[in-house]
Formats: sequence, C-alpha cells, structure tokens
Amino acid sequence: MSIDVLSARSAALEQVASLQLPTKRDEAWRYAPHTTLGSLDFGPASDSAALPADIDADIPAIDGVRVVLVNGVFDAERSRLGPLPDSLRVQSLADATAEDLAGVPQRDYDAGEDAFSVLNRAHGTGGALIMVNGQVDDAVHIVDIVAPDAPHAVSATRVVVEMAAGSAATLVETRIGGGESGGCNLRTEISLATEARLEHIVLQDLPANHVHLGRVDVVQAEGSSYQARLFNLGADYGRVAYHVYLDGEGAEADLSGLYFGFGKQTLDQQITVVHAVPNCRSSQSYRGVLDDESTGIWNGGVDVRPGADGTDSEQSNDNLVLSRKAEVNTMPRLEILADEVSCQHGATVGELDDEALYYLRSRGIAESEARRLLIDGFADQVMDDLSDDVLRAWIIERLGHAHA
Amino acid sequence: MLHVKNLAASIGDAEILKGLDLAVGAGEVHAIMGPNGSGKSTFAHALAGREGYEISGEAVLDGVDLLDLEPEERAAAGVFLGFQYPVEIPGVNNMYFLRTALNSVRRARGDDEISARDFLSVANEAMELVEMKEGFLNRSVNAGFSGGEKKRNEILQMAVMQPRLAVLDETDSGLDIDALRVVANGVNSLRGPERSMIVITHYQRLLDYIKPDFVHVLVNGRIVDSGDHTLALHLEEHGYADYVDAASLSGAPA
Repeated sequence: MSIDVLSARSAALEQVASLQLPTKRDEAWRYAPHTTLGSLDFGPASDSAALPADIDADIPAIDGVRVVLVNGVFDAERSRLGPLPDSLRVQSLADATAEDLAGVPQRDYDAGEDAFSVLNRAHGTGGALIMVNGQVDDAVHIVDIVAPDAPHAVSATRVVVEMAAGSAATLVETRIGGGESGGCNLRTEISLATEARLEHIVLQDLPANHVHLGRVDVVQAEGSSYQARLFNLGADYGRVAYHVYLDGEGAEADLSGLYFGFGKQTLDQQITVVHAVPNCRSSQSYRGVLDDESTGIWNGGVDVRPGADGTDSEQSNDNLVLSRKAEVNTMPRLEILADEVSCQHGATVGELDDEALYYLRSRGIAESEARRLLIDGFADQVMDDLSDDVLRAWIIERLGHAHA
Repeated sequence: MLHVKNLAASIGDAEILKGLDLAVGAGEVHAIMGPNGSGKSTFAHALAGREGYEISGEAVLDGVDLLDLEPEERAAAGVFLGFQYPVEIPGVNNMYFLRTALNSVRRARGDDEISARDFLSVANEAMELVEMKEGFLNRSVNAGFSGGEKKRNEILQMAVMQPRLAVLDETDSGLDIDALRVVANGVNSLRGPERSMIVITHYQRLLDYIKPDFVHVLVNGRIVDSGDHTLALHLEEHGYADYVDAASLSGAPA
C-alpha cells in the first residue's frame, strides 16, 4: 500500500462492512484481548466528548509547536501552532488538499493491512499532516486526547509525517485520555527521504479502561535515520506495532522502548523491520517490567529480503517480572534471505536479584526502597537513550506515581 | 561492644556455624582466619543479616541483639559488611546509591538528611582515601568494575557510612599488591577508638598491612584458637592442618 491520503478513504469505508477482526490464530494478535476488542464500537472521530480540564498537568512540558488531536480530530484552538519555523508545516489532514499533498510522495510501505488499519484509514480523517523540509530544532509535540463519549467507543487518529531530503526533526506523541471506556486506534505514517533524520518518541499513557491500538509505519530512503523511543505505560490493552521498511542503502533504524505493566494490563509491542536493500542497519532494544497480573508481549522481527546483503541487525529484549502472576511472552523472529548478514538477537526474563537487594539493604536502604532502586535502575537504561531531559523527568515522575 | 554467644547457623541439614563465641571491644581489630569451608563468610553474613540461614544464639552490638533485626536495621545499628563479592547493579548510580544509603541510616537514627553539598564533601574525602578518580561515583554500582575497583568501592562506602562495626570479608581476595596497599591504607585510616573491625581472611598477607589486635582460628564452625598477631605468622608457616585434624578427631566417635 502507499500513502494515498485522499483516495484511499472511500475504498476503506467499503472494506469496513466485511471486515474480520484478527483472532488468536494471528501470531501478531495472539495475546490480544479478543473479547474486549470484539465489544468495541469503531467509528468516525468525535470531538464532542468532555475533556480533561487541564491537559498540561498530564503531559510533558515541551516548548514549541504543539498539535492537539481530540479523538483524532485536529483541535486548532488547543494547539500551539505558531510561530512555525519555515522548515515546518502542520495542518489538519481533513483540510489537506491535493495541492498540500503534492509533496507527499507515494511510497511502498510493504506492510500488510489488518482490520484496524483499514478502520483507521476509513475513519481517521481528521488527524494531522506534518511536513518537514529542513532542520526543526524544537520537538514537535502531538498530544492525542482520547475521551470516548459513549462506552466502548473507539476513535481513529491518523498522523502523516513527511521528512524531505536532508531534514531533521524530533516528534513526540503523547497519548492521554479520560471519559468513558473505549479507546483509540492510532496510526502514524512516516516517510524519510534521502539523508533525513527523525527521533520519534511515543508516550502511551491512556487510562486503565481504554485500549490503545497503535501502529507506526515507516519507510526510509537512502542514508536516512529513524530513532523510535516507546514508553508503553497506560491502557488496559496497550499495543504498539512498528513496521519499518528500509528501502534505501545506508538507512538506519534504531528502535528502543520500555513497557511497564501493573494491575491487569496487557502491553503488546509488535516490531517488524524489513531490510529490503543492502547495507542497512537496524537495532531493536526493549525492556519490560511486569508487576501484579500484567502481561508483556514483545514480538520483534527482522526480515532480510533477497539481495539485502551486508545487513547488520541487533535485537534484544530484557524483562523484569515482579510478581508470580505477571507474564512475559518474548519472541525474536529472524527471516534471512540474503548473504553476508549479521543478525544478533537475545531475550531475557528475570526477577529482581536477591543478592542485589541484600547488598542494598546491608547498606541501610529499606527493602521497599531497595526494590524501587533496582526497578528504576533496570528501566533507566532505556531512558538513557532519550536526549530530552524534560521527557526523561516526566517519565520518571510518571513511573514514580505508578509505584506508589 | 560486640558479644557473640553460641552462634549457630545452618542451611537445610548443613550446620555451618556450630556455637561460635567472640567478644570484640571498642576500637579493637580482630582477624578471623580459617581454611576454606570453615564458616568464615557465613559468620560475616550472619552478622549482616542475609536471608536463608537458620540462626540461633546471640550477637549483641551495644546492647542490641542484631539477630532480631532486618539487614537495613543492622546497618542503622552500625554494622557494615565489606563483601567478598560486591554485587554489580547496572543502572543504579554509585553516588545516588551512597547518598540514599547514608540518608536511610540517618533517618533511621532520627537524624536529618545530609545536604547535597555536605554529602559531596564527604564523598570526595572518601574518594581520596581509596585513591579513586573523579567519575567513579557517576558509574553504576560496581557494574563493570575491576576486582580492585570493587574492593575500593567497599572501603569507600565504609568511609561514608562510618560504621560502629566493620566486618571485612576476604577484602584482600582478587587484589594485586598495589590495590591491596590502597585498600589496607583506607581501612587503617578508618580505625578509631569507637570503631571495631572484624577482618576475615584466608591468608596472612593482609595482616601485614592491617595489624590485628587479636587473631582467631575458625575451623569447622567454631573458634578453636585465639592469640595475638603472632598466631597469624604461625598459621602462615604451619597451615591449618593441626586444627583440622583435631577438629575431625573431636567430631569422630570415640
């Protein structure tokens, strides 16, 4: 498929009538809460819901451009759209004309559609279009506010990001919510032209009665660089799927993330990086902490296509399980159809180290605090990848509250 | 100061300490020597409060029986164990760890937390003591440290915590001669009339640097001989063979 923002909607709407939701037999949906998903009511974006009074309290205080999407609808009033640097264009997808989109090239995403991505294409009509042509210094902050106006309502949010050749930017997507049970079906489509660079941070912090169906499609041209940082913290079912397609020689994708589950949360990361051409590099490095009765899923794949010689990839997934009723499913996948490749992968699942706990306690640190030091120490190693101190502080505080 | 009476420790059916008695006065340094498997490390961990042992007897420090306390409460009571194998804790900053430890102990004693500035001067002084370079405190606790760095870090912690009773478990193991000198100098400068030390070692070498007031021989879970520092020299020459034979004889049916 490709980004055909305008023309694909009607086709998707036609498909919706005959859609089959994924089942347990689909490997990528094996641990999803199918009963819950079946009870959801997917519809067009709604902006009539009651919103949290003060969103600033719930999101990191990032200066610069802020794009607020309420149930997937571009909210110009709550957004902070100026002054925009010359290198940045931000607008509602709903208002995008053929002329606006002329600069968005058709790119092959090469990733299969599923029911939710079709639903997203059908209903995600009011999201944001971000076009970068040059260097953007301050992070662009997209704030998704998910506030269903009826039980089980799931809105669709769509963000299209186009990075022109040689551009550089940081994009932060913060997802918060309130209102009734329900959730959001979100898709971010990112295209990086030659030598473009994007740091893309997702903070998923929806309420515990929501589902978060997130999908990120990335296609990368020659010499481009994509850094993904996922903090998958909220929602009853918090899913983020990355499909990264390395389509030009010398492209690099560096994906890392942290999922931190409490209560009965299920946090599901599905990652596929396709090496379609020679001499690209990718890394996936994810950490999970699972407490109470939570479940973590990490399904990370590297797909080396025929001819993609000189591929260099690394995958690691480390998990800390804090409770007997918590569960982790970790699945590194490799499919290699090329020669002279280096693909390394490793996964670990462990408990808190008793020896380390004893060591800390022998220095006078109370057991609860010693546990917390060890957990934070494990999680902090993902945060070390973050360049932004404001984000780091927000995440640490958010995790601190979760501990309490 | 410390009175250990009839201390026994076992794991499952294995008895490791079989009625150990020891009295350590204020300001004294006692060395405990013994062959492998005699129970030296178990004694150290029994004092520090490691879980997993069946313990009986008593170990009273300044009137408080340590055996009733959690490890962190023992630290607040003034116990410090220098580990034979300091634990690597990736992701936990050495400086933050030290400050958390010091403040935990201060709070437990009803004292105010130390200010950031005062802590920095305490930490810097401790760094000088063990001849560590700047940046040492910004690394993760023991993670990727060499054997010598780990042992220096133990002494650095001891200098910051200022314990009443320091138990140093095989502090000399894995050290080259230069590191041994640094560690021993650190320990010696922390000697004082209000601080007692128990130095556990397999070899006499460490005692050339840290001169003990008393030397005890631990064999098969009991202290079988005590003397002054000349006892260590005797052991160096003759080994533990006499004691081990005697212990196995006394344990054998007549």
